[in-house]
Amino acid sequence: MSIALKAEKISKYFYTPEKFKVLSDVSFEVQTGEFVSVVGKSGSGKSTMLYILSTMDTDYTGNLILNDQQITGRSVNKLAAFRNEHLGFVFQFHYLLPDFTCLQNVMIPALRLKKLSAAEIEHNAYEKLKTLGLEDQALKTASRISGGQQQRVAIARALINEPAIIMGDEPTGNLDSKNTEVVFDIFKQLAAEHNKTIITVTHDNDFAAKSDRIIEMKDGIIISHDRKPHEL
Amino acid sequence: MKAGINTRIAYTYMVSKVKSTLVAALGVTFGIGMFIFMNSLITGTNEYSEKTMLSATPHIRLYNDNKISNTDMLNRYLGDRTINLISNPQLVPQDNRIFNPDAVAAVLRKRKEVIALSTQVTANIIYSKGNVQENGTIFGVNIAEQDKMFDISSNMIAGKTQSVADNPNNILIGIGLAQKLNLKMGDYVRITTSTGLTKTLQVSGIFKTTIKNVDETKTYVSLPVVQQLLQKDRAYITDIYVNVKNYSLATETGNSMAQQTGYTSESWQQSNEQSLAGKKIRDIIANAVIFTILLVAGFGIYNILNMVIYEKIKEIAILKATGFQGSDVVSIFIQQALLIGLVGSAMGLVVGWFTSYLLSKLYLGLGNVTYLPMTFLSKHYIQGAIFGLLTSFFAGYIPASKASKVDPVSIIRG
Repeated sequence: MSIALKAEKISKYFYTPEKFKVLSDVSFEVQTGEFVSVVGKSGSGKSTMLYILSTMDTDYTGNLILNDQQITGRSVNKLAAFRNEHLGFVFQFHYLLPDFTCLQNVMIPALRLKKLSAAEIEHNAYEKLKTLGLEDQALKTASRISGGQQQRVAIARALINEPAIIMGDEPTGNLDSKNTEVVFDIFKQLAAEHNKTIITVTHDNDFAAKSDRIIEMKDGIIISHDRKPHEL
Repeated sequence: MKAGINTRIAYTYMVSKVKSTLVAALGVTFGIGMFIFMNSLITGTNEYSEKTMLSATPHIRLYNDNKISNTDMLNRYLGDRTINLISNPQLVPQDNRIFNPDAVAAVLRKRKEVIALSTQVTANIIYSKGNVQENGTIFGVNIAEQDKMFDISSNMIAGKTQSVADNPNNILIGIGLAQKLNLKMGDYVRITTSTGLTKTLQVSGIFKTTIKNVDETKTYVSLPVVQQLLQKDRAYITDIYVNVKNYSLATETGNSMAQQTGYTSESWQQSNEQSLAGKKIRDIIANAVIFTILLVAGFGIYNILNMVIYEKIKEIAILKATGFQGSDVVSIFIQQALLIGLVGSAMGLVVGWFTSYLLSKLYLGLGNVTYLPMTFLSKHYIQGAIFGLLTSFFAGYIPASKASKVDPVSIIRG
């Protein structure tokens, strides 16, 4: 098994309202195809860490390697290109573009990547929606479908460029238990069958408990890599 | 396909807010419409006033001016062993004639740029009929040459220009003078010079230039009549009028002619400096108004884009998260601005043409201006469209570059 993500001694400070160390020397690795949940109380630094791993936050010290590529030190534009091709994101809110149809929303990152023709992209996007059970919603405007459906469209959008790593920031935080179940199953399946690496930050202990590995954080450091979190 | 997706997003953003897009576009529309209308009117007015000026003034007038006394003769007589100075030099009054006018005219006619040339004698005189008297200027001309230059024939309301050449007792008068002295075709008018010489002439033609000053004072007779009145010989010529191909260069051409012939030149620009100043001032006023309108239109676009960006900031963040670069975001919003500008400019061209067309039918009826002078030049429409797009571009650039600097982390984390 290869390494999908390697974080070495990552530290970050917040400067407002006063200087505060959110992350101190966080180091860990994630294997390809692993489904990892990051848990911890509010303020433990788990989201901050996720955004550093996502390459969007570049204001940190330490070293980050994703997909065997050196990330730390790259220019903003190169990082954007890397995200486009190798990373998928699912957030607590779906952040779909409400003026576009579901299908167009899924297609946008692929149209940006420009590896395939528009027709192929449309076909792929439709296939993604189909696997997530959304083929009937494809041509509806993104603002006209339910919350659970929106989150699944967001997942389809995260998958359109076949990224190696999918990151989630409380992807089920806004969903009822039924939809949470659905999203979890999708993630599980992606990791098991498609060998995607999944890293999600979550507050949902049941969700975390079912994943391959739980990383528990407290006060900016990792306190366990166990299968079971402390103080469950 | 990069341009493709950015354009599609820009287009979708634009049509999702049809109303505010239209308002912003209307700003450009009025700006461009006004730009076209103002330019058409100003150009029309300038062309009209130029035409008026040139109907009474030749492109270049050559004459013999009084010269200030110089040391040439002293130098010739005393040589340059001494430095010769004249204290308190005076203007030397002299016979203001063009010497050997035929030779001078022949030299000028050889120049490629000359299209018409007319030699003449003018005199300030008093016209009288019965006890009524009017001041004026009588022009002794070769009427065929003069007609070629000022197209007098097209202004004739009675009689023919050629009649002056046919009979030395004939005179062409303006409509204004005809009314003031109650002169009709065939009537006699008495001419008195400053030296007291008089002559009676018969009205053989009446012209109407619509320029009041010309119609009330100017008359044409054949050359020998004025030469006689001034008691001069048949070679006495005071002015040579020249029309050239490119009349905007009349001053330069005139200077070169003055150098060639040794006489003083005066171009139509120099003799109409006041009117040209008026033209400049009109241009400045129009440009100031147009600039203000375009600026306001620019602010309209700037405003709507700022609003869109404020509303779409989360979407911008997510686009950046999924791999759109700063330049893509700039491209999206610049394109949106340009789309607004394009729609606005296109409507502006129509509005500009329509306004110009309507107002070109506005009857003024003042002096010789019947309808509002208006031009329809494609140049103005092309310029208008370019200005509209430029304004949109710059108005869009500021908010677009602001949007490109959105930090996705701070927006998505909330």
